[in-house]
Amino acid sequence: MTTLIEGIDLCLSRQARVILSNVSLKVDAGDFITLIGPNGAGKSMLLKTLLGLIKPDRGRVIRKDGLRIGFVPESLNLDPTLPMSVARFLTLNTHGGGLSEDIISETNIVDLLGRQMTALSGGERQRVLLARALHADPEILILDEPAQNLDMSGQLNLYALMEKIFKQRKIAILMVSHDLHLVMSSTQKVVCLYEHICCSGEPQVVAKDPEFISLFGEDMARLLAVYPHEHDHNHDHSTNHGHHHG
Amino acid sequence: MDSFTIAILAGVALASLAAPLGCFVIWRRMAYFGDGLSHSALLGVAVSMAFNIASEIAILFVGVGFAAFLVFLQSRRILATDTLLGLLAHATLAIGILAMSLLGADEIDMHDYLLGSITSVTTENAIYIIATALLCLTGLIKLWPGLLLMVTSEDLAQAEGVNVRYHEAALMLAMALLVAASIQLVGILLITSLLIIPASCARLFSQSPEKMALTAGLIGIICVAAGMLGARETTLDPGPLIVAIMVGLFTVLLGLRLIQRRPPH
Repeated sequence: MTTLIEGIDLCLSRQARVILSNVSLKVDAGDFITLIGPNGAGKSMLLKTLLGLIKPDRGRVIRKDGLRIGFVPESLNLDPTLPMSVARFLTLNTHGGGLSEDIISETNIVDLLGRQMTALSGGERQRVLLARALHADPEILILDEPAQNLDMSGQLNLYALMEKIFKQRKIAILMVSHDLHLVMSSTQKVVCLYEHICCSGEPQVVAKDPEFISLFGEDMARLLAVYPHEHDHNHDHSTNHGHHHG
Repeated sequence: MDSFTIAILAGVALASLAAPLGCFVIWRRMAYFGDGLSHSALLGVAVSMAFNIASEIAILFVGVGFAAFLVFLQSRRILATDTLLGLLAHATLAIGILAMSLLGADEIDMHDYLLGSITSVTTENAIYIIATALLCLTGLIKLWPGLLLMVTSEDLAQAEGVNVRYHEAALMLAMALLVAASIQLVGILLITSLLIIPASCARLFSQSPEKMALTAGLIGIICVAAGMLGARETTLDPGPLIVAIMVGLFTVLLGLRLIQRRPPH
């Protein structure tokens, strides 16, 4: 498998607070990885470090040469005084690319094109952001809390759409989420982060990990452990206990 | 061409730059920054008197220093940005006024710097203003997609290869250049209006960022030209007159908008 993006021994502190401590994470072509962890665990910071938006204090990030990344940020700080239609937003880039009919129908946003960005619902806005990310014809999609602020059906729709994109386009996906239930039933691989990588592997396996249980509680772990896993391919069922304390 | 025609041309150039820049000022909520920057211009005038250098250059240097110092203080996270801006703006204004008095500026000088004066616009001034406007507009058009993306989401812009720090610095530099160029025509107290009122008018009727910038430019040009003509015919100060015309137009447009009763998007 080609490695698309890899962070090695990443360390990051902000105002004397440790955010990441010796975090190593690798995304290969075809991976669907979800980063989970409590609030303030450094999930978004890890994404931003991998994207190159933040320089780590120590460690390094290696990317495949010429890697095309589609990024979906956590939020848009759209000021209501900025008039911007969905169509304009989709073509707003520095490389001058136009609209793709395929992507518009794939993400089901045909009816939204003439609307103003500020008039979209949370779910509509996420679909537009996803469509925009796909316009770069990415090898990897990186999403920061895409289902945040969506209601239950909005979350389910978004996850279904991402599964569809993952399967049809055969691209890698790395996302941050704290909707544990959805993650556990739809992702291939979960990485649990709290300053360091506590545990990682298939959802079923992670849910039984002592560190996961200590972070999310016994009840949550038991609930998640019973979720059926639908992937029909084989994984090595080893959990990677990457304990790099200190 | 007589000197007044040249002054009008300079005013039109100034308005065409202020309008698109003003759009970014309201999208990025930088109105107080514009205000602070223009207050610092008085210190720039004092510096130019003290060292006998061209006022445009001194104002530009003080303005860039003002912006750099503000960015430095922001990164320390000791006080909120609006507090820092208020502090720096009034510090530079107060020290500027004191320094100018000590250096022998009289009341007429002070009045002209605060509220503008058409008769003080020389042909050299006008050429400087037009050159500044052309330079900044060219830069703005070149950086337009990156700037718009930055306004939408800094993370997204950066992830797509836009150098956010550079774009932000370019925006601040353009504002400093505008302040330095506009002091004779509108005076430092009212420069922010030149930025935000035409853009606010245009927002009422615009569906895209480009339309908003162009409409704002048109509105700004009309108001500045009308204000300058009015100031020549009367003894009124050009700065306040231009702003009054702009506010009048904004009020009428807002009224029309409210009658139409459609949401702005």
